Amino acid sequence: MPRLPPSLFWRARREISPLAAQLLPACRDLESAANELRWIREHVQDTKSAIPNTLRVWKLVDKRARGVPLQYVLGTQPFGDLEIKCRPGVLIPRPETEAYTLYLASILSHSQPPTHSLSILDLCTGTGCIPLLLLHSLLTNPSTRDIPIHIHGVDISPHAVALARENQAHNTAVLHHLPPPSSSGVRYTLDFTQQDIFSPAFVPNFLLQDLRPKGPALDLLVSNPPYISPRDFATATARAVRNYEPRLALVPGHQRHHLSSDGSSPENEEDEEFGQRYGCRPEDIFYTRLREVAAALRPRRVLVEVGGWEQAQRVVGLFLGGGGSGSGDDAGGNYEVEIWRDEPAAGDRGEKVEIAGREVAVRGVGKGRAVYLCNDDV
Amino acid sequence: MLRPFASSRALFRSAGTIRNDYVLPSANPGLRHSFSTSVTLQKKQLPPRPKHPPESEIEESFLKGSGPGGQKINKTNSAVQIKHLPTGIVVKSQATRSRTQNRKIARDLLALKLDELANGPQSRAAVVSEVKKKRAASRAKKSRRKYRKLAESQDDEGSIAEEAEGGEDVEGGEWEEISADSVEEVKAETEEPQFLDRAKVQSTESSITKNK
Ligand SMILES: C[S@@+](CC[C@H](N)C(=O)[O-])C[C@H]1O[C@@H](n2cnc3c(N)ncnc32)[C@H](O)[C@@H]1O
Repeated sequence: MPRLPPSLFWRARREISPLAAQLLPACRDLESAANELRWIREHVQDTKSAIPNTLRVWKLVDKRARGVPLQYVLGTQPFGDLEIKCRPGVLIPRPETEAYTLYLASILSHSQPPTHSLSILDLCTGTGCIPLLLLHSLLTNPSTRDIPIHIHGVDISPHAVALARENQAHNTAVLHHLPPPSSSGVRYTLDFTQQDIFSPAFVPNFLLQDLRPKGPALDLLVSNPPYISPRDFATATARAVRNYEPRLALVPGHQRHHLSSDGSSPENEEDEEFGQRYGCRPEDIFYTRLREVAAALRPRRVLVEVGGWEQAQRVVGLFLGGGGSGSGDDAGGNYEVEIWRDEPAAGDRGEKVEIAGREVAVRGVGKGRAVYLCNDDV
Repeated sequence: MLRPFASSRALFRSAGTIRNDYVLPSANPGLRHSFSTSVTLQKKQLPPRPKHPPESEIEESFLKGSGPGGQKINKTNSAVQIKHLPTGIVVKSQATRSRTQNRKIARDLLALKLDELANGPQSRAAVVSEVKKKRAASRAKKSRRKYRKLAESQDDEGSIAEEAEGGEDVEGGEWEEISADSVEEVKAETEEPQFLDRAKVQSTESSITKNK
């Protein structure tokens, strides 16, 4: 990262506050430093404590100045109309995720026959931000608020599962953004469980033990899985992310023991080798697994977040049948495929690309951010 | 423009304390004017909150990050900037950490600007600022804390107290001040009779580019 010019510190000190100057290295520009200082002050004023406010502001600024993400410093991140609690050990929800989740909810609401029910599965749920916002949006939309909605979130991390449940309670009982599941006229279920989606038992468990959301079919399989290669993690990932957010949430590779059929101890394997073993790039491992899961559960729609345009194209190719672990299914056969950019709802320009001989619609503006598949015949 | 000390605490708290928003459709930000039935004298002096212009007249510019986005970075920039295509008016909101909230605030601000353009001294913004001037003296006597409690205890729709409070330490930001009340919008939606279409009157006249 380039050094900031001394004049910028001087301006921050003079025009805003010495505290803003302290925040500059973490925030990188005056406007963000001013905003973050304001939000820290508001947070302190809005929460009670025996410690004097000035001291609390100073402490939080100091923490942020050392590079800790603001969301961990303040303990929350707004997500749509919700407030998501954030803690070290669980990935902070990103604005791009918020954007496609809202867009996804609007699609579900618009294409829903009124008598139907909706069942949704979110793999790698983290804070639970995606299921919670989907639920909120579906319950606030007149066309879906009266139908039964069943959502299930899965994560391998016990910290994530605990936080997701906390977030459900926080937005229901504390903030009242969500109705309690039992309230009159509202029918929904939302559950979070701790599971490894790579476990061979995952899909059978799901189908047999009725862990899957209830209802005749799965309407949506959604996932924002780890998608950063070890190399990109070291070189192309922001320092605050690398130093403070969990690697488990970002880099595939901690699930390798499930892939070793010979019982050797693959824990020592390099991540690159792990990728090769699964027959794809290390950053694409989860998509290979998600494709298998999709082939087994046959959801009506699939949405997976991706790290950029190239990965989006590879994932489209993967789901359309090329590559992968070759389980002989035709997961992508009958699906319409789309690539969504960062702001999928913005400016429809009718953009299209061809991948694996299929026409793929591209929505919105920004970087390639998600791959969406839809099969209305399911 | 940099507003280092602009306080949006009222905004943020309001956003956080909206109750039962799940019973209301979120997809209709346009119609949300509402006055409580027990209107006090002060409240009556206020023209209603102007309606948002239709989304088809709004262009939202997404601040393109130079980096990869997604999991690789963790930015806190929640600013939203919108342009009203017929008039060229541009407004920006970075009041809260919530982009969803900032999108609503930006639309509220735009509606107020269009209202002012159309109605001048009779616009909500003008009336609010007039009332505020009159009340400034009495307000100064009260401690901030005490005052805030007062504002909180009132029903928030159309409440001048909320507006004044939100803007108390805003640096010359008339729009930010007024924005404070517009966050209460997710409340009961009642029909808005007289003032509804005022903002639209001028919406076809073009080429006034305002930027903060
Ligand atoms: C990129 S984070 C996404 C979190 C959240 N969905 C969001 O969008 O903010 C990926 C999540 O996958 C979880 N995860 C990693 N490996 C997993 C596995 N094998 N099975 C289930 N979840 C896993 C991590 O714990 C982490 O919470």
